[in-house]
Amino acid sequence: MNNTKAQSNLFFTVIWLVLAVLTIMTFSLGEAGMAGKGVMLTLLAITMIKSQLVANYFMGLRRTKFLWRAIMFGYFAIVGGLITVAYLMGLK
Amino acid sequence: MNEHSNTINQEDLPGDFAIWIFIFAEMLAFGVLFVAYAFTRAQNIELFNASQLTLSRTSGAINTLVLITSSYFVVRGVESIKRGLNQQCAHWLTGAFLLGGVFVGIKMVEFQAKFAADITMSTNNFYMFYLSLTFFHFMHVLMGMVILAVIIMKAKHGGYSAHDYVGVETGASFWHMVDFLWIILFPLVYIIR
Repeated sequence: MNNTKAQSNLFFTVIWLVLAVLTIMTFSLGEAGMAGKGVMLTLLAITMIKSQLVANYFMGLRRTKFLWRAIMFGYFAIVGGLITVAYLMGLK
Repeated sequence: MNEHSNTINQEDLPGDFAIWIFIFAEMLAFGVLFVAYAFTRAQNIELFNASQLTLSRTSGAINTLVLITSSYFVVRGVESIKRGLNQQCAHWLTGAFLLGGVFVGIKMVEFQAKFAADITMSTNNFYMFYLSLTFFHFMHVLMGMVILAVIIMKAKHGGYSAHDYVGVETGASFWHMVDFLWIILFPLVYIIR
């Protein structure tokens, strides 16, 4: 029981550390003044990973019906997709 | 043989379903603003890029770390109450509440700097989006702190148990939504150019 509890806490701590590292990566790309299609897509990919980690593990949606996870992923896919379209429009 | 026969059905959303209606509605509202920001930016790239440089990326990044850490504390609070540990739950949620206060403090310093420079929503389209998006989110952080405070008080008085923690999960879900939305807002408004 205690072992399961410790494993669960360790798992959430690892998720938190991954989120922190991805945040620092985002900040570093901004500080480096990097721009362009590749950087934008990288930043959106990092954001997608972070948002899904929060939804699936912190919110606990990984244990729920597929529908709920699909809504959270679909939300990011639609919003992120439209942001990408708008960004690409700006490059022209 | 059937070792899962006694497993509790966890396929439902955590917490009260009503909070999820609210969460999805809020996500939709923010989603529309995120997309509107992106398409307005496409028409005013130079203006948006120049105005974005006046923002403090450091403040934004620190606030992101603050919110994901507070979300982690909330997760630990929920894990505690699932084992019936009211006091431990209250301690983790108090940590999350205090970090919410740090977020609010940093954001107020950021707002103050903009107002001191005579920047308002009327200054230009970028600041209109920046101020409205971040203030709208700021209000959600305050609302989340009020919810956390109510749960903390109840937990301190032993108001939850290992079999009755829907209230904790409801508040936790709202707090994670606040984190989820900031995770998108930060790179969109502060970083992507």
